[in-house]
Amino acid sequence: MADAHTVPAPTVHHYRAKSPWRRIGRGLVLTLASALFLGYVLAPIAWLLSSSIQSEHEIVSKPPHWIPHDPTLQNFAAIFAAKDKTVTYETRKTADPSSGGFIPSTASNLLPAIGNSLIVACAVVVLNLLVGVPAAYAMAKIRFRGRQASIYAILATRVIPDIALVVPFFLFIRNLGLLDSLWSLIITYLAITVPFSVFILISYFESLPDELDKAARIDGCSRMQTLTHVYLPLALPSLVAAILFAFLSSWNEFLLALMFTQTPAAQTLPIVVASFTSDFTISFSFINAAGVIAIIPPVILALMFERYLVSGLTAGAVKG
Amino acid sequence: MARIEFRSVTKRYAGDVLAVDDLNLEIRDKEFVVLLGPSGCGKSTTLNMIAGLEDVTEGELWFDDQIVNALPPHRRDIAMVFQSYALYPHKSVYENIAFGLRMRKVAREEIDRRVRDAAAKLEISHLLERRPSQLSGGQRQRVALGRAMVRQPSVFLMDEPLSNLDAALRISMRAEIKHLHTAMQTTFIYVTHDQAEALTLADRIVVMKDGVIQQIGTPDDVYERPRNIFVASFLGNPAINYLEGFIEGDAAAPVFRRGALRIALPPPIAARMQRRPEGAVMLGLRPEDIASPAEARADAMLPGLVDTVLPVGSDRFLGLKVAGCDVYVRVAKEARHAEGDTIALALVAERLHLFDKATGMTLLGGATP
Repeated sequence: MADAHTVPAPTVHHYRAKSPWRRIGRGLVLTLASALFLGYVLAPIAWLLSSSIQSEHEIVSKPPHWIPHDPTLQNFAAIFAAKDKTVTYETRKTADPSSGGFIPSTASNLLPAIGNSLIVACAVVVLNLLVGVPAAYAMAKIRFRGRQASIYAILATRVIPDIALVVPFFLFIRNLGLLDSLWSLIITYLAITVPFSVFILISYFESLPDELDKAARIDGCSRMQTLTHVYLPLALPSLVAAILFAFLSSWNEFLLALMFTQTPAAQTLPIVVASFTSDFTISFSFINAAGVIAIIPPVILALMFERYLVSGLTAGAVKG
Repeated sequence: MARIEFRSVTKRYAGDVLAVDDLNLEIRDKEFVVLLGPSGCGKSTTLNMIAGLEDVTEGELWFDDQIVNALPPHRRDIAMVFQSYALYPHKSVYENIAFGLRMRKVAREEIDRRVRDAAAKLEISHLLERRPSQLSGGQRQRVALGRAMVRQPSVFLMDEPLSNLDAALRISMRAEIKHLHTAMQTTFIYVTHDQAEALTLADRIVVMKDGVIQQIGTPDDVYERPRNIFVASFLGNPAINYLEGFIEGDAAAPVFRRGALRIALPPPIAARMQRRPEGAVMLGLRPEDIASPAEARADAMLPGLVDTVLPVGSDRFLGLKVAGCDVYVRVAKEARHAEGDTIALALVAERLHLFDKATGMTLLGGATP
């Protein structure tokens, strides 16, 4: 009888903080995973930097020296000295006094190639902004017939892989008589980078309120003045993203440059550096020093704009 | 000096969306006109057409004796205040206010004088160096007003400028805008969906719906003599009550009848009745049109069952069941009614409204078109 009256005690759930061990374990796993990822990303760069100041002899030593035992700047000196030398099979060993190793026959093309790469990348950046900014502003803020269609058309060009464009581009460039000139690269890089820049900028402009546009026009701005006085200062993060994208794409591009350039007059850095690996023999020390020089401009650019970069790339992705 | 006139103006958006249909409207110099209507009624489009931010699809828009259809915004001598304020986030308050003058190449000293003058009037002098993001909603609103004021435009356009403010601030800003109009002596065109704002501010109200003007008139006109059911319903809070029924009796002494409910329409209403309606009519009764028992007339009583009692401090609202309809009325707070009581309230019968049920148009003369 008594049992029938007994009400079962309600089960009470106490909220308990997770045990400190679980917290520590979680932290450990995260730290380890981060360290692994960092190593994966940074190890090649670290090896590039380290080996660029090692002699040929030290680079090939086993086990490899992550920290150089006998650091030297001779590899860099060889790059800057290379421009005066004509390297042949006979003279190939004379340019690396640190090791008595080899120097590529195309070594003297390296410094002109850096110049070419800089000219092409900067021209592509400037033209990207000149074309991309007004285009993106118009598509984001001006209602005109065919607006949606033009946005899709621009996006559609990014779906086509570059390799599919090589032949049409080649014929186009050849017919213009621009083979082996920097213009061939500037024109084709623009075709590849402008759509993406426009895409980045459209989404950013669209996230800025339309009423600013109206207010500026009532305040006396023309369309162009609205763009320069009101939208551009606000769009700085996305501009930086577009600049970096255009610069890096042009700086690193290999395929088109390989097709359209034949002589040092127009060859860019990736082509010349790649040519070092297909020489009489291969000089790792020289290649690595060239690699370090090649990453300096993008690194400087990234450091300059670092604080704008993340906000620009993610802007417009989520409606705030 | 700015007189604005719409002559048969139509605005159609891409995809054949009709935003404004055959608009004819004259706005006089120095007048305060409020465009009032629910969202999507074409009031903002109308304002944007005046500003030059939207093209006129058909018809003519006149500023004084000039057709301005193709005139760009910055050449129209207008200033505009937006609902979202539209302040430039990267400029200081000072630069926000000065920007329109800078674009018009006004001398630096003159800009400075006007900006400080406007800031002083709006009591934002201490905020001039701040960025818009560091201001409260009310302060931003003042900056937006300042930006428009310094331009000394001949037409001042406002697109729901108060709807982002909280209720108390909205009421005090209403008064300031009214003062601003008096002080600036210029044409004001103000868009809102808030009937109280419209009634407080306007010299004339333009009530719009679906891109068509429903009525143009003074606040008194549109409130007291609404031209159709839409206007009557849109103005007034709580909204007007309707009782569907028929008109009986002779022309001199018409009587509204709904079932057993009979309300005699007094001579002023009878005189305004332009025609004898064939079919059903809607009797409009504003909640406040309840007379004190002392003024009661036996033939103008509203009998009903008290359904709800809602005290609001200053008054009480009663929800009544009258001849099968729900009716809300306002009574003095001293009135002691309880839910479930059967009562009969005296009507101010002279203030009743009468609409043709089929067309929705008023049956009483004297309404402005």
